Amino acid sequence: MVGSRLRSRLWRAGFRHQRRHTWQAILSVLGIALGVAVVMAVGLANQSASRAFEITMEQISGRVSHQIIGGPGGIPERLYTRLRMEHPYLPSAPVVEGVVRIGEEQLTLLGVDPLAERPFRDLTLDAPPAVLNQLLTRRDGLLIPAYSAQRLGLQAGSRLTLDIAGRTRETEILALFGARSQAALDGVLVTDIGVAQTLLTQYGTLDRIDLTLDGAQAARLRAWLPPGVQLVETEQRTAAMAGMSQAFQTNLTAMSLLALLAGGFLIYNTATFSVLQRRRQFGIMRLLGATRGEVFRAILAEQMIIGLLGTLLGMGAGILLARELLWLVTRTINDLYFALTVSRLDLAPPILLTGTLLGLLTTLIAASIPAWEATRSSPQSVNRRSVIERRSHRALPWLLLIGLAGMGGGLGLVQSSERSLLLGFAALFCFIMGYCLLVPTLVPPLSRLLQYPLAGAFGSIGRLASRGIDATLSRTGPAIAALTLAIAATIGMGIMVESFRDTVGQWLAQTVQGDIYVSATHSASKRASAPLPDWLPSRIQQLEGVAEISSGRHVTLESERGPVHLLAIGLASRSYRGFRFKGGTLPDLWARFAAGDLLLISEPYAYHQRIQVGDPLPLLTPDGVVSFTVGGIFFDYGSDRGLVVMPRERYAALWDDAQITTLGVYLQPGQPSGPLLTRIKQLAGQAERPLQVRANREILEQSLEIFDRTFTITRVLRLLVIAVAFVGILSAMMALQLERAREHAILRATGLTPRQLLGQVSLQTLLMGLMAALLAMPLGWLMAEILVHVINLRAFGWSMPSQLSPTILLEATGFALVAALLAGLYPSLRMARTRPALALREE
Amino acid sequence: MQRLALLLLVLILTGCAEPAPPAEKLSATDLLSELGQAGFARATTPRDFQFPRDHGGHPEYRTEWWYLTGNLLSDDGRRFGYQVTFFRFSLTLPGGEKSASSWAGNPLWMAHVAITDADGKRHLSEERLTRAGPGLAGVAITPFRVWTEDWQLRAEGSEFPWHLDLTTRAFGLTLAVEPSVGVVLQGERGLSRKSAEPGNASYYYSYPRLRTAGTISLDGETLAVQGDSWLDREWGTSALSPEQSGWDWFSLQLNDGDNLMFYRLRGRDGKDDPHSAGSLTGADGATRRLDLEDIELTPLRWWQNPTGISYPVEWEMRIKSRDRTLRIKPLLDDQEMDHTVRYWEGAVDVYEGDNLVGRGYLEMTGY
Repeated sequence: MVGSRLRSRLWRAGFRHQRRHTWQAILSVLGIALGVAVVMAVGLANQSASRAFEITMEQISGRVSHQIIGGPGGIPERLYTRLRMEHPYLPSAPVVEGVVRIGEEQLTLLGVDPLAERPFRDLTLDAPPAVLNQLLTRRDGLLIPAYSAQRLGLQAGSRLTLDIAGRTRETEILALFGARSQAALDGVLVTDIGVAQTLLTQYGTLDRIDLTLDGAQAARLRAWLPPGVQLVETEQRTAAMAGMSQAFQTNLTAMSLLALLAGGFLIYNTATFSVLQRRRQFGIMRLLGATRGEVFRAILAEQMIIGLLGTLLGMGAGILLARELLWLVTRTINDLYFALTVSRLDLAPPILLTGTLLGLLTTLIAASIPAWEATRSSPQSVNRRSVIERRSHRALPWLLLIGLAGMGGGLGLVQSSERSLLLGFAALFCFIMGYCLLVPTLVPPLSRLLQYPLAGAFGSIGRLASRGIDATLSRTGPAIAALTLAIAATIGMGIMVESFRDTVGQWLAQTVQGDIYVSATHSASKRASAPLPDWLPSRIQQLEGVAEISSGRHVTLESERGPVHLLAIGLASRSYRGFRFKGGTLPDLWARFAAGDLLLISEPYAYHQRIQVGDPLPLLTPDGVVSFTVGGIFFDYGSDRGLVVMPRERYAALWDDAQITTLGVYLQPGQPSGPLLTRIKQLAGQAERPLQVRANREILEQSLEIFDRTFTITRVLRLLVIAVAFVGILSAMMALQLERAREHAILRATGLTPRQLLGQVSLQTLLMGLMAALLAMPLGWLMAEILVHVINLRAFGWSMPSQLSPTILLEATGFALVAALLAGLYPSLRMARTRPALALREE
Repeated sequence: MQRLALLLLVLILTGCAEPAPPAEKLSATDLLSELGQAGFARATTPRDFQFPRDHGGHPEYRTEWWYLTGNLLSDDGRRFGYQVTFFRFSLTLPGGEKSASSWAGNPLWMAHVAITDADGKRHLSEERLTRAGPGLAGVAITPFRVWTEDWQLRAEGSEFPWHLDLTTRAFGLTLAVEPSVGVVLQGERGLSRKSAEPGNASYYYSYPRLRTAGTISLDGETLAVQGDSWLDREWGTSALSPEQSGWDWFSLQLNDGDNLMFYRLRGRDGKDDPHSAGSLTGADGATRRLDLEDIELTPLRWWQNPTGISYPVEWEMRIKSRDRTLRIKPLLDDQEMDHTVRYWEGAVDVYEGDNLVGRGYLEMTGY
């Protein structure tokens, strides 16, 4: 009886407390909401992108178990004829696939033979006979998913202008397929294989042959296949493709967890405060007979309600935010990896559930510590704040130990986990957590250190301010830790992105040695870049002022492990300078390269495939597998899939493909590029399809623009982490200062003017900001080191020097001070306005 | 021989593996009669047939087929029927704007192969369906060759004998055929009118008796076989008229040397269409036309397939001019072809009274 009344009183007291401190509660809810929102948004955006890819592949691959794929030139379609003649009982279907554009949007054009489709896909089966007849007989008929049609405002009968490798083609929508709500196939246009060949001007070749085989059939077919083509398992190939963007998506998730971590600190802060504020109340309850468990549960329940509110709010906000992020994620995937249209957010229950659980779990962990604290003390001592502070200080050695252990563990994990990206992130989190635990232990020495200059500058107010931080360590400690984390995150990400951008800039400047470059705008083939007209090189070579030209052919070789980018180059004398090698190269590199014995591979390729200089590298050519030797590993930041480079003559001979994709024009010394640029543009204008003619500088600018674009999402996340931290700091500081109302009142009563008090409080919060900034610098820098040298390497295979930019440090310090100052402003203003007597009486 | 072509195209396009109920088939036929005939040549006047040229393709007409059926006897006395058919359906006119794509605008090809094993009481059949594409199917004159994927009918040069060498999942067929009776131009000098409307006709010639010898591979055995085959060649652009629902087609090789072909076109009203026709060719090659009045057909026995469609599998045929009454019995009731299109096509024995007087093939569609 007594117990239950007490319990309900505990509950009611908790409720009253929260109502009296509405702002604190709101900020608390907001903090966890933001954390959860970021995690959910990133999770949902990632999931939607992956799901869209998966479903699209599923629909495109259908019931295809195996595929026959060829080299950059595709498969000769006669192979399909032979296959049908010699293996009529293997279900097989020819596929032509290309990339087309509608405005800025990239879509996949899938050309199939409706007659061969039945075992594989249902895309064309539902079409009425009249539509199929048109599909088979017309030159411009397409089927479009109902979902895309709705999105693009199209319907059956609509004319649709496609941009195919820079040429425009008029087509007509014959019919829609799929359900209007089915976003899965968005971005896939289906047509007859003949129409696809005509639109893509890809005659005589297929992109792949789809099959449904069992193991024995696959083995037999493998033996039957001529050299130059291969049989791959669809699942493996799809997984390899999906894996391409995996590292990028993992990075996003990790960054979102950082936001939640900041949110966790926030909950911890507010829970601690609300416990501290009611220490007296809990003491009385305990004296009245409430058990430790009851107090613990009451505090926890109260915080869990806040956590739940925050989580629910965060879920809503996360869904809204996810819509924005999805667009950024998709754009980056499109820029870096493959054409993907994701137009609908997939509200995957597992992600929503995980986000919710993460939110509640974070709350639970963050709130249990202060709740446990409140119940640990004897009823009398709960009452006394000095006990808490003494205990806080007593805990410092333990924190120091655990913190150091966490950091050490993190570093150890980095060492021992070698290549695992996930473990790399785990190590990073261990390290960060360890450092954050260390922060409270660093506060007292730091405040003592700052005491003297502050006293010198501001007199007793300065000393008061710095000593106050140490004296109220139980609250200033976590607040400073949270701020440290947030600032360190911005520093870490900032340094990482800056180092990356710098490295890419330098790399570009070195790689782009030519003065003017010519390339086709974009390709309709997924395997090869659009070729330049064959008359162009010699015409450019003849121009006055041109010293020499280099040429390149960029193709994608298919393999079971996913696509391999191959660049076949005809080098100009100056282009050799464009390569910077990592480590040593084989002797006589360039001579042997020119002779065709050696290949060069980019760093990410070497990293992912675990290849070293001197290793053999087999490549599938139309005549079968040819083994090359890796002569050198060069730095390259163009693709995280990696790049294989070989001389153009060798490529042309092996793959029977003499086309070129890019031309680099080297001018004679002292020759201005302007007139030649105009001249070459005129020449390029005579080409059938539009060509891009760009000066060296333009390429650098455009490349960095794309770089910045792909990092927009990182910047957005960084801002979101900052926002969470800011809310956290605001709430922590406000609570701290409000809680010290009595102290402030005494100060006022002893003669401090409101202005002086304002100064003292502001100084103190500024001091905390400064401490946080100082403490964040080493952490930020170390985070950057881990991000650059561990995470980036493991995720993408890129190594680069990290660069400590003073601007980032200054920015971070500025941000810390502003956040602290703003956070201190309201409580100090309020204090300054309150009559001291009133505040004292309230206590 | 009107055969299946008229139904086929639409049914292929609908990809209709399930048998369509008769009503739907009819409406599909209606659709076809409106569809895609424009621009194709039409059989309106008798033409000057030339061989071997006319053994080859006539792409200016929308549909065309090479139709071999026959009755064979193995050395150990087992009785077989066989059918090998290549159909061409053009979707677009030839000679229009040429596309560089080998898939663009070319015809669809469908091939059916079947054997009836009388002793084993089984009818085995298989289909190939493809578009011409990059050499997946087609027809050539020198050397003569008609093929659909791995199945082909070919000659060394452009003359007979023609060779069949094809394998299905269940059996193999290796045959050589050579005419023992010369070519017969059906209808009016090879112009076979299917309705009153001009152009609703086809060019139609037959080799009513071809000596046939070769092997059948079945159940791991290779059986030497010989017998007689019948070749029908037909091409045109027309469709059935809306009032026609299907046909019953007979090709009978009698022991006395006579070869009889007759198709009965059925009207939707259940009556026989007046354009039903046929021919009677003697061993010497002399041919006489047969009209609806010359032949009286009476179904004697019906067989129902598993989906409930009934075919009249046993017939009485009265040849009025000769005053003969033949009784036509199937080797097997179930000789239904259940593929992209469903029809009944099977080997039959011909009786006069109790005497076996010949063999033949029967085709029934539109049921």
